[in-house]
Amino acid sequence: MGIIDVNHLSKQYFIAKRQEGMWGAVRSLFHREYITKTAVEDVSFSIEAGEMVGYIGPNGAGKSTTIKMLTGILVPSAGDVTVGGLVPYRERQKNARQIGVVFGQRSQLWWDLPTIESFELLKQVYAISDQQYRKNMDTFTEILRLDEFYQTPVRQLSLGQRMRADIAASLLHDPAILFLDEPTIGLDVVAKERMRTFIQEMNQERGITVILTTHDMADIERLCKRMILIDQGRVMYDGGLSKIRDRFGKSRILIVDLEKDTQLQVQGAELIRSEGNRKWLRFNREEITAAQLIQQVSIQADIQDLSLEEPEIDSIIRQMYEEGLSVG
Amino acid sequence: MSFSSWVRGTRLYFHMVAASIRAQMQYRYGFFMNILGWAMSYAGTAVTMWVMLYSFQSLEGWSFWQLIFLFALAVLSWGVCVIFFFHFRSLDQYILNGTFDRFLVRPIHPFFHFMAMKFDVGAFGQLLFSIAAVTLAYIQLGLDWPFWKWGVFTSAVIGGTLIQGGILVLISAIAFWTTRSERFYWVVMFPAKSMMNYPLSLYPRAIQWVVTFILPFAFVNYLPALLLLDKPHPSFSSYWGAFSFAVGLVFFSICYQIWMMGLNRYKSAGS
Repeated sequence: MGIIDVNHLSKQYFIAKRQEGMWGAVRSLFHREYITKTAVEDVSFSIEAGEMVGYIGPNGAGKSTTIKMLTGILVPSAGDVTVGGLVPYRERQKNARQIGVVFGQRSQLWWDLPTIESFELLKQVYAISDQQYRKNMDTFTEILRLDEFYQTPVRQLSLGQRMRADIAASLLHDPAILFLDEPTIGLDVVAKERMRTFIQEMNQERGITVILTTHDMADIERLCKRMILIDQGRVMYDGGLSKIRDRFGKSRILIVDLEKDTQLQVQGAELIRSEGNRKWLRFNREEITAAQLIQQVSIQADIQDLSLEEPEIDSIIRQMYEEGLSVG
Repeated sequence: MSFSSWVRGTRLYFHMVAASIRAQMQYRYGFFMNILGWAMSYAGTAVTMWVMLYSFQSLEGWSFWQLIFLFALAVLSWGVCVIFFFHFRSLDQYILNGTFDRFLVRPIHPFFHFMAMKFDVGAFGQLLFSIAAVTLAYIQLGLDWPFWKWGVFTSAVIGGTLIQGGILVLISAIAFWTTRSERFYWVVMFPAKSMMNYPLSLYPRAIQWVVTFILPFAFVNYLPALLLLDKPHPSFSSYWGAFSFAVGLVFFSICYQIWMMGLNRYKSAGS
């Protein structure tokens, strides 16, 4: 048995058709029409204590719904879920003590107050002892440099600062499990890296089990040995990252800015987009190297600037559909 | 719930309330204008009453100072209610932008947590106005209440707070089903409150019944005022005014239950 066990978990939403205006709102109190939408369908997985797992999929795949069921916010329609031996929706408050949650786009902190005050309030909310509070604050301050903005109201923090504060706040009560919903979304490269380092450190040094949802493949590559890929509510893949990347992650996109707009004739690559002087070329790295491709281009035109793009999770999933799902 | 969890809950409430006050004081200008604004707007209503009474002498057998008393009693309990419950009307905002979920990932009761999120200091304006107005009316009317009448008065303030708070809780609960609540406040609560500034006997019988037996606004100020000012009513016993606290308690707990039903529905449906 793992620290998190999910068995045949499903969640259906009944979405009311919206009716317009004040009268519509009143009428919808008495009579509503519903559409059933399956957000999560027959999902099963087990996560061991100390694991760091990437839970990924495109928008609307059911990631957030699963996280909400694991944190006790939502009650499942069918199936079982246990977190640290508890059924989250039945023992929500008890479960809340053993988990930390960060929703990347929504702060959990007190918006109008100096950042430090949110920490002090959370100390009260979770009944954290003085000793434990001081110990954690010292550690987090040192790694995340929280002292740079202790006195700044949360609403005035930059996104990077806010995320640092948010993740520190989620760990203040020493949770065994940490849920991170898009922890690096919108951050710049430096802030992303700092975030990843911190997550890794917490996992290695404190043995915290981490489940993170993300759009950014680099997060997964850097942090997770295992990933669970879901799409349209179903698990499509559960396993190591290397396997899926070897199979589907071969394509790369080279973006070049040319001196002037030129019709490119390249072999082993496909021109997928063109905007003025900027060209997008997709190639398979097993058939041609980036260096060979750049060489081909530079013969035909002067290159001002170039960059390489890794395939995004959406395109990997698209490819999985096209080429069949037999990865496991 | 054990005694120690009550103590912890109370301590936590005060911590969060203090934080909310500090948050409102971040905007110093707004902080004072809010208080002043509320006091001024109620004083404005009182002036309107004076102008009206100046030409009519009395309204439904109520003199100017009796009317002021009736009005100020409603404002007093509304002031207390605003402090604790006014932010409930905007629960829909929390649900729509997803911040309501934070109340569900913490180890405390979500109703309590949401209630403690704001302690509206703007209401001090209402309290300031209403205490001054009640005092003036008491002197002008030459009242000299026995002990039990002070009990009725206190019960009216606490009961009135619970009744109006209950309605705000009820309005906010609508958001769990429809993701809207603020507009219901302006459609239901706001007109009902303006209506309660005047003697209930002015209004049609049907309305009098609704605000007595369904949404018990009458127990906020009208019925207690009848008893406290020794005024008769054609069909209601004047002793009904003594039951504000009990009515408030029952009404509030019904509204709270409905709120918790809404929360359960939110947990099974999401937003």
